[in-house]
Amino acid sequence: MLTLAFDTATAVATSALVDGAEVLGERTSRAQTLLEDVDALLRQGGAHPADLDALAIGIGPGSFTGVRIGLAVARGLALSLDLRGVGVSTLDALAAGAPGALPVIDAKRNEVFTLVEGRPAALAPHDVRGALCVGDGAVRYREILEANGAEVPPDGDERHQPRARFHAQLAQNLGDVSEIEPLYLRLPDAVPGAR
Amino acid sequence: MEGPGSRLILGIETSCDETAAALVTEDGELRANVVASQADLHAQFGGVVPEVASRRHLELVGPVMREALDQAGATLDDVDRVAVTQGPGLVGALLVGLAAAKAVAWSRRLPLVPVDHLAGHVASLYLQPDPVEPPFLCLLASGGHTLLIDVHSHTEQTVLGTTRDDAAGEAFDKGARLLGLGYPGGREIDRLAREGDPEAYDFPVARVPGLDFSFSGLKTSLLYATRDLTPDELEERKPDLAASYQRAIVRALVGKVRQANAERVAVVGGVAANSELREALADAALAPLALTTDNAAMIASAARFVEPVPYPGYLGLDAYASR
Ligand SMILES: [Zn+2]
Repeated sequence: MLTLAFDTATAVATSALVDGAEVLGERTSRAQTLLEDVDALLRQGGAHPADLDALAIGIGPGSFTGVRIGLAVARGLALSLDLRGVGVSTLDALAAGAPGALPVIDAKRNEVFTLVEGRPAALAPHDVRGALCVGDGAVRYREILEANGAEVPPDGDERHQPRARFHAQLAQNLGDVSEIEPLYLRLPDAVPGAR
Repeated sequence: MEGPGSRLILGIETSCDETAAALVTEDGELRANVVASQADLHAQFGGVVPEVASRRHLELVGPVMREALDQAGATLDDVDRVAVTQGPGLVGALLVGLAAAKAVAWSRRLPLVPVDHLAGHVASLYLQPDPVEPPFLCLLASGGHTLLIDVHSHTEQTVLGTTRDDAAGEAFDKGARLLGLGYPGGREIDRLAREGDPEAYDFPVARVPGLDFSFSGLKTSLLYATRDLTPDELEERKPDLAASYQRAIVRALVGKVRQANAERVAVVGGVAANSELREALADAALAPLALTTDNAAMIASAARFVEPVPYPGYLGLDAYASR
């Protein structure tokens, strides 16, 4: 089964083409150029878009715009190619790529997205409790996390980036792509009647 | 993929608060036009909240494409180009439509046509059954834009004047808010103005050099006119205020159109639906009512006159907020 996986929730967009358990290719760029990567992955794998069987899509949390770009691409592909797919939490994919580590994503505004008792949450960095922390939030708030006793791998360590091969690995129970919801974790900054 | 039914342009528009998809033929025949308006959603905020709009676009972009295909009795096999609004607009909102459009085009190796939203509004005039042929002077008045455009041909146009502050549609929205009316404001003021005296208040038309517009002073005048009224008085004077306020906006628009002294005039954009403006410019060509507010039919229509970007040149394309 040929699965296209991607995640555009964080600053580094990741994509992978996976055939069963075999990773045919994996690339990184930015959300806006995701399809350039996808195109290169298929060319490299000698595949045509119509050969795809499934999508595994990162749903965040992360940048709202980034998450939406990935999901909008997924909806376009699903409509065109009649594909089924599954949404994978960006936190779960990070954790899958760094066994034993707590995923910590930069949420801007002095917060991070992380897991609390296995559930996604937005927290102040000094409230994060983990022995080993990975992700761009862990890199950004290294000093705070380390002061709390956490270990944070060196900045360039690949465990800090979501890697789409893990989205493919976690993809189970394929369904209707139009029903895959983004994981924003925050409401829009707007109050009814405030303007 | 040749044949009589195989020359459809799929248009997608998500620049502001309408999620839209449409199918148009190479000849400008409208086969499907689906607009999912978010107006009700934004009414509770009194205006468009970009993040709220972007979230809604993501929910709707798939369904509007699906519905457009169903409406036309077509499939994507009948589509030979995908047209999408690249800007100007809310970038987060534009990126949803652009990403979906790129994905559809890429998956079928189709060319993509990035369309300027303002050129799209002008192209709402080029659809069958009564296409308006250039040259003409085009007044584009909407919630986001107020422009006078010299349209030389299907591909060449020059902006002659623009607003220095609020757009005409924005002036309607802000006026409606001051009067305690709903959103979008243009429709509400238009409705209420019919019961009022347009000469009851003498709201000023800003004197702006050249063919530019200004509406911020007008809004201030309305504020002054309303702030000393008791709630009961305001209720009673509301129709007169609405009628006089609308008269001032229409006068400002028509004044500049006349000043441009063009042989033929056309009006597009949401404000083109205003009944007083339609009467005041009775000799002008008007966009069909259904195509005055943002829609994807106008985007697909504009794409007929824009060089498509062949696969894979568009894969890294980005949206732009202003031009
Ligand atoms: Zn518009």
